[in-house]
Amino acid sequence: MTWLRDVLVELADEAPRVDLAERTIATRDHRRRTAISLLAAAMVVVIALGGTLAVRLMPQAPTPTTSGKDDLPARGVGPLSHAYKTFCKPVSGKAPSHCRDGGWRVVTRSGRTYHVPEALPSLSPGRTGLRDSPLAISRDGRKIAYYSAKEGTFQVRDLASGAKTTAPMKLPPNTWLYSVTRLMLSDDGRFVALSKVPDLKDPALLFDMRDRVVRELPARWVPIGLSPDGATITLAEYSPNSQLRTISNLWPPTSPGNSTAVILPQHYAFSPLAPDGKTVAAVENHSTAEKPCQMGDLVLLDPLTGKKRKTVPIRGLSADVSTIYLRTWRSADEVTALTTSVRCRPASEVPDDEPAQIDPPYRTFTAYAVNVRTGEARKLTTYRAQGIFGIAMPGPPGAI
Amino acid sequence: MDRNDSFREFVAAHQHALMRTAYLLTGDAHQAEDLLQSVLLKVLRRWSRLSHVERPEAYARKALVNQHISWRRRRVWTELLAAEPPDRPHSSEDSTLVRLVMRQALMGLPPRQRTVIVLRFYEDRTERETAELMNCSIGTVKSQTHYALARLRKLAPGLAPKLAGLETEEVYG
Repeated sequence: MTWLRDVLVELADEAPRVDLAERTIATRDHRRRTAISLLAAAMVVVIALGGTLAVRLMPQAPTPTTSGKDDLPARGVGPLSHAYKTFCKPVSGKAPSHCRDGGWRVVTRSGRTYHVPEALPSLSPGRTGLRDSPLAISRDGRKIAYYSAKEGTFQVRDLASGAKTTAPMKLPPNTWLYSVTRLMLSDDGRFVALSKVPDLKDPALLFDMRDRVVRELPARWVPIGLSPDGATITLAEYSPNSQLRTISNLWPPTSPGNSTAVILPQHYAFSPLAPDGKTVAAVENHSTAEKPCQMGDLVLLDPLTGKKRKTVPIRGLSADVSTIYLRTWRSADEVTALTTSVRCRPASEVPDDEPAQIDPPYRTFTAYAVNVRTGEARKLTTYRAQGIFGIAMPGPPGAI
Repeated sequence: MDRNDSFREFVAAHQHALMRTAYLLTGDAHQAEDLLQSVLLKVLRRWSRLSHVERPEAYARKALVNQHISWRRRRVWTELLAAEPPDRPHSSEDSTLVRLVMRQALMGLPPRQRTVIVLRFYEDRTERETAELMNCSIGTVKSQTHYALARLRKLAPGLAPKLAGLETEEVYG
């Protein structure tokens, strides 16, 4: 029996690794809405035939599944799974339907898609003036932070209640939203951190949206975690060296804070700070100019000392994965890995005069849940976006 | 935590094991996903009651087995054997070829026989547990196991010696 069992176990190892929870919930919700719609339609027929005024008794018509052309309602929106930025004239392939140039779209866990018209587009009308208008999602998916075109600064919005808070300081977009912006929203929606890489001249900022105060942070570092009280921030830098930095005693805003920084001996792509508040996962990056896209093992790091706590090879990814980006922590043991499978060209194959693609084609990002104890990866879903900075996942951003 | 969250937790904890069984039952990744999703939908519809029972995964597993059998009964036998195993001499120790041959042989079994092989020899279920999961008698499990192994030996003659002697008598108190 052992022999047959071993063969069957090996066969079972070929089983697909997908996460069916969200798909099942979305299917149930969709069927429920359809059933209610049919019931409502049947009632209308009956009522019309009977000539009664019982239309009042009909259940409220359900909101149809959105086709992607609707704006974010003022309130009553469920938690988000992700958001993505859209540019509408990619050099090849199609743009998403109902595309709005440079706009953000949010997608709920049940699959509804909405434009966020209040968020400043990253492209001025007429495709003039490129900037980087960021959007962040809280870890529970229930709040978003974005640059409000109307207010001229950042806002946080609770998707269910529609309540908004606005940063205490105006930030003209032409002087603040340049290079690659990185935005982090705390779990409770109270704090927002903005950073830019490369940094140029302005500092990074941390807003306390509730008490309406702001403090400066060192420029160029990507915010990857904030303690629940907002007093300690974890930052990462991935170029030219991989570094981690922790600053505590952030408040009052005039406080210099206590800072600990560690330069790591090799290059990494970092996850957000883990839910335990004292671990960062990272993927070793062995890439060089002539050998790009060389991702190594997954490591767990102590952000204060840079010490490796664990190293595991990642197993279960598609064989053609070329790049891995670590994002939302799904639990204490599982982190989301966004992967791409693109051919990476050595620097010598890229012509010096090759123009930069401002509006690159949309490509597929495949999300896996990676168990950081075992390295096992299971496929979750796929996303379409023009680049890794065009996707926002719940929780702090990773670096890179 | 809302009801969907507890369902998500349930799925996260059990979907991998259920998917492996679904894959062995169907022999196809897409059919396995369809099968498991239809079962999870059933579970979700009853979640308000199931979330309070001790082992909701037992319900899911039983639903998986029965859904598979009823689907297979209703569907026209459309499965075609995949590519033939490589036409070269192979040792029964060559694990890749053994897997290939065994997968084809399994796909050649009728649904109830395939189910009994998966439950008895992959999940290591007793005859009694297998009978409960399949809603049949222990005698049926015994006979289905016998026929399934005989058919596997016929479909995969190279593995016949390995498949001999797998039928054991269980004693019930």
